[in-house]
This record gives sequence, structure tokens and C-alpha cells, in this order.
Amino acid sequence: MNMRLKLAAVFIPLGLFIAAVPETKTKAVKSSPDKILTEVRSNSHLITTDVVADMLVQKDPSLVLIDVRSADEFDAYHIPGSINIPIDNILADEWAGYFDQSAKMNVLYSNGNSKATEAWMLLRQKGYKSNYVMQGGMNYWAETIMNPEKPASTSPDDEIARYNFRKAAGGVLGGGAIAPAETQAAAPAPAAVPSRPKKKRAAGGC
Amino acid sequence: MGPLTVYEIISANTNLVFAFIIGIGFGFVLENSGFSSSRKLAGMFYGYDTTVLKVFFTAAITAMVGTLIFALFGWLDLSVIYINPTYLWSAILGGAVMGAGFILGGFCPGTAFCALSIGKLDALAFIGGLFIGVFLFAEAYPVFEGIYKAEFMGAPFVYDALGMSRGVFAALLIIAAFGMFWLGEWSERKFPRDEY
Repeated sequence: MNMRLKLAAVFIPLGLFIAAVPETKTKAVKSSPDKILTEVRSNSHLITTDVVADMLVQKDPSLVLIDVRSADEFDAYHIPGSINIPIDNILADEWAGYFDQSAKMNVLYSNGNSKATEAWMLLRQKGYKSNYVMQGGMNYWAETIMNPEKPASTSPDDEIARYNFRKAAGGVLGGGAIAPAETQAAAPAPAAVPSRPKKKRAAGGC
Repeated sequence: MGPLTVYEIISANTNLVFAFIIGIGFGFVLENSGFSSSRKLAGMFYGYDTTVLKVFFTAAITAMVGTLIFALFGWLDLSVIYINPTYLWSAILGGAVMGAGFILGGFCPGTAFCALSIGKLDALAFIGGLFIGVFLFAEAYPVFEGIYKAEFMGAPFVYDALGMSRGVFAALLIIAAFGMFWLGEWSERKFPRDEY
């Protein structure tokens, strides 16, 4: 009798306490700042414009391009096939389906690096992992894919191969003379396609 | 042991050593509470001994209060705890068979091994029957497979089905448990048995 009363005196108040306090609905934060810092420093969140162009040309189904600029900038020009999720809205529930999954690769881009990286940081803190930042953003995209700089004919072969790829990809993806938009930092002027007289390539080698 | 093996803090072999030590503790407590006696265990169903009820419900509400208070303070993330999936028909059927076996034999599998370790012959008979049952189920599995996997319900919660919050259900369960403890005491007075 005594033992039961003692136990009851302990458990029933605890039970009432648990009933009274509302349960926490928020999930615990899934990533620590240390881990995020390591990832950022190792640049594992970056994807180059060449890789993105290649995936677009191959119509890779696992790629999802997300433009985090405002709707006006998106309407002015965006990479074909990308969707617009302005960074102010990025944590809204309607977009959770894009981020809360691990099957598709989300590549975020903005004009430069800063807004896209901010978006990446926000999503990473919520625990979403399959998000990447397109290195250099729209400006670098315009520089390299849209208006690639023709390398000198004495450049190494892989540079020339890269230029050819970029020119082809740029053509497919609506290239030509696209001027990059202004960012907070001064954007470098697009490299004009230099016109050089065709030099005869030194024949030889293997 | 939970997070220690998953995160490779201890190896699988050290895990077995821990299991051995915990098993010794478990057997010691069972034997000390008198659960090696089949008459004490079967007394739950005839009313003269309700120790099983008290032990199980005390364990259940201690665990429940512990996890809920840890979750309130954020020390435990309830969403990562594994919950056995619910297969409705096999749960009901298996529970009925287990209950019948418990009353007939006076043991459940854990207490049978505990009693065997002190040399009881009725525990030996019970374990023999246990192996026969396991063998029959394994051999006749194609017959049982349909009902074994029927009506998979995921991991539903009682408080969701009843539409109340988790904390309120916990408080109600604690009050119900203590009500049952007093009911058990009344039953022991009503159905006494001198010697068992």
C-alpha cells in the first residue's frame, strides 16, 4: 500500500506536467555550424558552369536549375530550363518539395556568388543536402558559355577543347551576345570575341 | 547498444559483451522478483497474483515518462526512434496464441529461460514446446505468409487515432496504470490462494 502511494505521488504529478507542457513541434537543427563551415571551405558545394552546361546539353534529368534572383531579373533573362524561387521566399512550404529530397540535384544560381551562397547556407542549415551553387553565377555563365573567349591557337589542347564545348553549348542554350547583369561588386566586362587571323597550326606532334 | 555501435564508438564484439552483462542483470532481477515460478506468472490470469501487471506497467510508464521528458528538454529526438511496424492481423493472432500459451504453460519465453537456469523441469518442457513451435512456423511459412504480412499500418500512434495530444494521453495512461494497480490489489484479496 505504501509503495503504491509513493509511486503514485511521483508518477501522477509527472504525468500531469507532461500533459500540460505543449510538445515542441520544431525538428532539432540537423547540421552544426562546424560541419557547414568545413563544407564551405572545401568548396564541395560549388559546381562549375561547364558541368551545368554539359548537363543541360545532355538533358540530364537529375538536374534542377533554380534561379534565386527576383522575378524581374528572372524575366529579363534566365538560363533556359531553370525555375525561379526568389531568395526571400526560399523557406516557404510551397518550395519544400524541391529541397527536401535527395534524388535530384538542385543547382542554385544568382548574378554572382553571394545570393546563391546565401540560399545554399539557409537550405543547408535546414538539413537539405542535395543543393549546389553554380560558381560565378550568371555573370560567369555569360562569360564562359554565352561568350566564350577564344583561346590563342598556341594554347594547350584541353583549353581549345573546352572553348569548342562552350561555344557549342552556348549555341544550343541560346548563346550569342548576352550582357551580364550588375551585381554588388563591379562585374567584369564580357570578353569580346577576339578576331584573330587564322594562324597555321604547327603540324607535328604525335 | 544504440548510438554507440552505429557511430562505431564500440565494436560489435564489445556490444556483445555489454549484452551479456545486461542479460545477467536482467536474469538476476527476474529471479529476484520470483518470476521463475510458473504459478506466480499464471496467477495473473487467475487473479491471485498480479505481480506481472505491476512490473510491466511500472516499466512502461517509467519508459514513457522518461522519453517524453527527455523530448521536452530536447535531449531526445523522438522522430528517429525506431517503432516496430504494425501488421494488424498477425499482431492480434500472435497475441492470442501467446496469451493461450502463457496461461497453459505458465511461462513466457524470457522467464522460461530464467527458470531453466535454476533447474526447473517445467521450464524445460516449455522450451521444448517453444522450439517445436518455431520449427513448425518456419516450415509452414508459405501458409502463414499471407496473414503474417497483412494489413501493414506503418507506425500509428494511439493518441493520433484518439485525437488527443501526446502529453494528455501519457497522463491518462499513468492514471489508468495506477487504477489497475489498485484493481490488482483488490483481485488478490478476492481470489486468494494459500500456497503457490
